[in-house]
Amino acid sequence: MKISTRGRYGLRAMIDLCMHAQGEYISLRSIAKRQYLSSGYLEGIFAALKKAGLVHGSAGSCGGYLPALPADQITIRMILEPLESSMSLLDGPENGASSLRSFLNREVWSKVDRAVACLLDATTVADLMREFENRDHAVDSSSL
Amino acid sequence: MKLSTKSRYALEALLYMALYSGGRPMRIAEIAAGTGISEGYLEQIFFRLRKAGLLSAVRGKGGGFLFSSPEKTSVGSLVRTLEGTLVPVACAEDLSACKSPMRDRCVSRALWVRLSHEIGGVLDGITLASLAEAFRAKEGTS
Repeated sequence: MKISTRGRYGLRAMIDLCMHAQGEYISLRSIAKRQYLSSGYLEGIFAALKKAGLVHGSAGSCGGYLPALPADQITIRMILEPLESSMSLLDGPENGASSLRSFLNREVWSKVDRAVACLLDATTVADLMREFENRDHAVDSSSL
Repeated sequence: MKLSTKSRYALEALLYMALYSGGRPMRIAEIAAGTGISEGYLEQIFFRLRKAGLLSAVRGKGGGFLFSSPEKTSVGSLVRTLEGTLVPVACAEDLSACKSPMRDRCVSRALWVRLSHEIGGVLDGITLASLAEAFRAKEGTS
């Protein structure tokens, strides 16, 4: 099972945005530069994130984006949902599926869906920021 | 997230065998007829499963494929055999799979690692034997 490039890059960009948002709008170019991502690609991603209500955009010479919510209220699910075509492992229409296939959808693939949704609902951008910062500190203290 | 039809169909085929083979070898034609999966596709899948030791082949008359250890075969091991890995993002189990200059300073990898554990936790805990048992119980046959 695979997460798309759009989802992966969108998540990194969103975390980067929240890490650097201190009142002034953040340009996609700065995110692209920091994260080694294509700013053209980010444009499409941020259009979707804006539509989903996760970021505020500002056009003009000081153009850029700001998170629409505090980092501890932005769940990973909120970010991935507008960017991934589907977060479910279930395939196609259930109508006409054999009893074996429906059974497996219920007993196996739906269970994975639920575990994934649970984790993504419970993890926020703030959690990942904290984990990233602690990771740095761990590296620092090991060199002492 | 995307799950390939390979794994889906393989699971269906193995469950079919666990339910209906009665310990005897089964021919691909029979499994194809019983599941609706094409013979050609089953051949590809079964080739890989046999190579990985999940299935054995019996030649000659009354031959076919044998699924002898449904209680030892987890869905996780099946998916790993066919997809190479359970992880939704390659870097989760192999950092060198990441080609980004940000590889050592990634803000998101911790999530993919945790997500991989969640997926593995579910799929490694389900065996073909337990699925067959649950199916029989639900369908009211035993």
